[in-house]
Amino acid sequence: MKTNELAARLTSKFGEGILGVDEFPGLLGRVRFDAAIASKLFHTFRDDLGFAHLTMVGAIDWIDHREVFYTLWSDADRVYVMLSANLPSDAPTIASAVPVWPSANAHEREAWDLVGIRFEGHPDLRRIFMPEGYAYHPLLRSFKIHEPEDLEVKVRSE
Amino acid sequence: MSTITLFSASDAIAAFLLAHIAYVFPAPVKGWITSGDVVLGLASLIFGVILLGASMINTIMLIWWERKLLGRFMDRRGAMHVGFAGLLQNFADGLKLFRKDTFRPSKADSLGFWMSPTAYMVTSVVIFGILPISTGWNGGSLPLTLLLALVIFSFAPLFIFLGAWASNNKYALIGGMRSAAQMIAYEVPILLAVVAVVVLSGSFNLTTIVLEQRNYWFWAPLFLALIVFLTGMLAEMERIPFDLPEAEAELVEGWNTEYGGMLFAFFMLADYVRYLVGSILVVLLFLGGWTLPTYVPSALTSFPLAGIFWFMVKAYLVFGGFVWVRASLPRIRTDQLLRLGWMRMVPLALLSVVLAALVVAAHCLPVLGCVPSMGG
Amino acid sequence: MSEMWVNMGPQHPMTHGLWNLRVRIEGEVIKDVEPEMGYLHRGIEKISEDRHYNEIITLMDRTCYVAGLAWEQLFIVAAEQALHITPPERAEYIRVLSAEFQRIASHIMWYAAFVQDIGLMTPFLYGMRDRDLILDLFQSYTGGRLTYEYMRVGGVRNDLPLGLTDRCRKVCDWLMDRFVEYDRLCLSSTPFHERCDGLGVLEAPEAIAYGVTGPMLRSAGSRRDLRKDRPYSVYDKLQFDVATATTADVTGRYLVRMEEMRQAVRIIRQCLDWLDDHPGPVMAAQLPRWLGAPYAPVGNEAYLLKRNYPTGVGFSMVEEPHGEAGAYIVNDGGEHPYRVKFRSPVLINIWASKRYLPGYRVADIPPIMGSVDVCVGECDR
Repeated sequence: MKTNELAARLTSKFGEGILGVDEFPGLLGRVRFDAAIASKLFHTFRDDLGFAHLTMVGAIDWIDHREVFYTLWSDADRVYVMLSANLPSDAPTIASAVPVWPSANAHEREAWDLVGIRFEGHPDLRRIFMPEGYAYHPLLRSFKIHEPEDLEVKVRSE
Repeated sequence: MSTITLFSASDAIAAFLLAHIAYVFPAPVKGWITSGDVVLGLASLIFGVILLGASMINTIMLIWWERKLLGRFMDRRGAMHVGFAGLLQNFADGLKLFRKDTFRPSKADSLGFWMSPTAYMVTSVVIFGILPISTGWNGGSLPLTLLLALVIFSFAPLFIFLGAWASNNKYALIGGMRSAAQMIAYEVPILLAVVAVVVLSGSFNLTTIVLEQRNYWFWAPLFLALIVFLTGMLAEMERIPFDLPEAEAELVEGWNTEYGGMLFAFFMLADYVRYLVGSILVVLLFLGGWTLPTYVPSALTSFPLAGIFWFMVKAYLVFGGFVWVRASLPRIRTDQLLRLGWMRMVPLALLSVVLAALVVAAHCLPVLGCVPSMGG
Repeated sequence: MSEMWVNMGPQHPMTHGLWNLRVRIEGEVIKDVEPEMGYLHRGIEKISEDRHYNEIITLMDRTCYVAGLAWEQLFIVAAEQALHITPPERAEYIRVLSAEFQRIASHIMWYAAFVQDIGLMTPFLYGMRDRDLILDLFQSYTGGRLTYEYMRVGGVRNDLPLGLTDRCRKVCDWLMDRFVEYDRLCLSSTPFHERCDGLGVLEAPEAIAYGVTGPMLRSAGSRRDLRKDRPYSVYDKLQFDVATATTADVTGRYLVRMEEMRQAVRIIRQCLDWLDDHPGPVMAAQLPRWLGAPYAPVGNEAYLLKRNYPTGVGFSMVEEPHGEAGAYIVNDGGEHPYRVKFRSPVLINIWASKRYLPGYRVADIPPIMGSVDVCVGECDR
């Protein structure tokens, strides 16, 4: 499968929901999609396109918005593809991939813990590395590690 | 058997007391001391202290022996820096443990927590009092020493479970329960294997059993019983492959998880006391005790304390076998252990009892050199 | 006995590190497990945002402290892609050589810890003895025994010293003999099979769904190996087989790792032959000057300003000894990466214990979790 082929198939199925399919070095491509179609898109990739492996879920804080990305592997095509969705910084919410790929569980907990992405429908969205009740999501750009006073563990008093 | 000598080592001490010590006291005290029972009691006490010291030293040497052997099995050297070839290493370790603080978790039950190491230690050491070491070298030669030794030996699960329960720790509790289950399960095959020996020797007295082996050692006709007894002893001693009660991989340290310092040293020392007792029992029951085969040149058996020497050599070799097993086998699981005990060991032990009965019935084994005298 | 929760960790002999396996048991039967991580979280991804690319390599050694070079390679592949740098081929071969030696060292470490878990003491010492030989080799060309800081963006720090390839060959021969010994110690022992056969079964479809990778997945019969499926570095020029087993249990994982070590020796021998025949540079000729720069002088604002360097992204997946490790690097044109995301195979493999642990006994936890090959450093990062 080629990148433009993938783009054509996805666009014909989702139309507006696919914001673009970019070239990406070493990968089949990066599919930028609207967070609203996330759940359907996951099912399509697993069931129709044969991407059975979910290898990575991560998130990037671009300050004005946050990006959540998924990398998938297809055994048949022997290729990785990356899905990426932009979420608003004030409400970074997207549907969870756990119903589709159970392995997303730990990945999404990590993304929630470190970047503060809310995954709706996740069975157990707790922090995974940081203590429960920790006040920050440390991989946000606003979390500065240069300033010593910010290094103190601050726990919300709830 | 007429060869049984009661308290002969104590007798020697009593004679020494009478001859060299008693005269220093004024007449009335001297009369009281020399009145038979008192001097015998004193002599027994002194002998007991000597025995205790010897057993403790041997126990610590057993740890050294295990460490050196394990080291060689593992392509390293073991303890080597303190004393010649590391001989004093374990004394140093023991001193260190004794100097450490002993503490009790606040939620633990005080009485059980303090009592169990002591009781475990005492019940392990006291067995030495009745084990014959050589002709005439025993604290007490009762008619049923073998049974008594096994009975005392099987007290251990009680105190282990007590300590485990008292320390109020889940690992300890699981370990204690495993320990109890395991020791009780392996009592049966051990006793059956012992029954085979008893059938063949016709006596429950350990000295008699040894002396009955003057023609042939019992391991030859009772090979099955020996296997069962060794396996059962491994389980009773809680050594690899049967060390599940203290399986450090899943239970941290099992039933003695909460114990440290002096109390842990008690548990560990008592463990090694039990290893020594187990090895000694194997030697007594199956390997001819302190005797050597008759074809051995008499120079080897006639030097002073030769009996004790060969006895200890045999015991250390048997323990070396246990160490070898430890170096080469993994730990098995509780259900496998119990299955092995009930479905393999018990039938084998029963079979060996039958074999022993057949040997007795044949009454004479030309191959082995004829006629173990029946009765005792 | 009623049900109870037992904490196996964070300080527990089974864990091989700092993590907590909460186990709900009924008698000795496991009903449910709840792995808890984070005790060793050092925020490596966050620290990376504030470091030069070559400084991150130092962190990579600390990420997985038994497979440092494998993680260095993971980061280097992604970083070179993000920075548009091509390393010389000799450097690639040295990296593969290092990574494969690291794979053997890591697997031996796993072997030693695993047999210790099931109570075999002797092979533990044998394993440590043989791993030391590999560490000696590493020491002689990287200078480090545990944390190497050897690979660089654009190549490797230095070429191999004279005579090292012959020493490597000797070590390889010795190791091949020792692998036979390892197998004799374990596979020929009945108690070993009693403890390992049929435990922790995780069939391939489930393993894929739960994201399990590496030897655990291959032990279920899957032929997935990134070195074959998506060759990075020079793996496409090397001959080797993918080690698989069919039983999907602890024994299967043992067999896979043993075979992987033999295949690693095979790869190493090819690398050594190539390296003997092809001398050459080990660093890329043209590198941006700041890549070689030492630590940024404090307060030198001009230095911290972003250069006009082409932006890029780097994505690499590497068959690390524990499984598939991934790195995603976003380069926004500065000398620090904007975001580094690592995928830890161990995190997912541990997390899947919710699937493969329940139903077995407490005594089975050490062999099963031992067969996972836990390295908490990379799990928590």
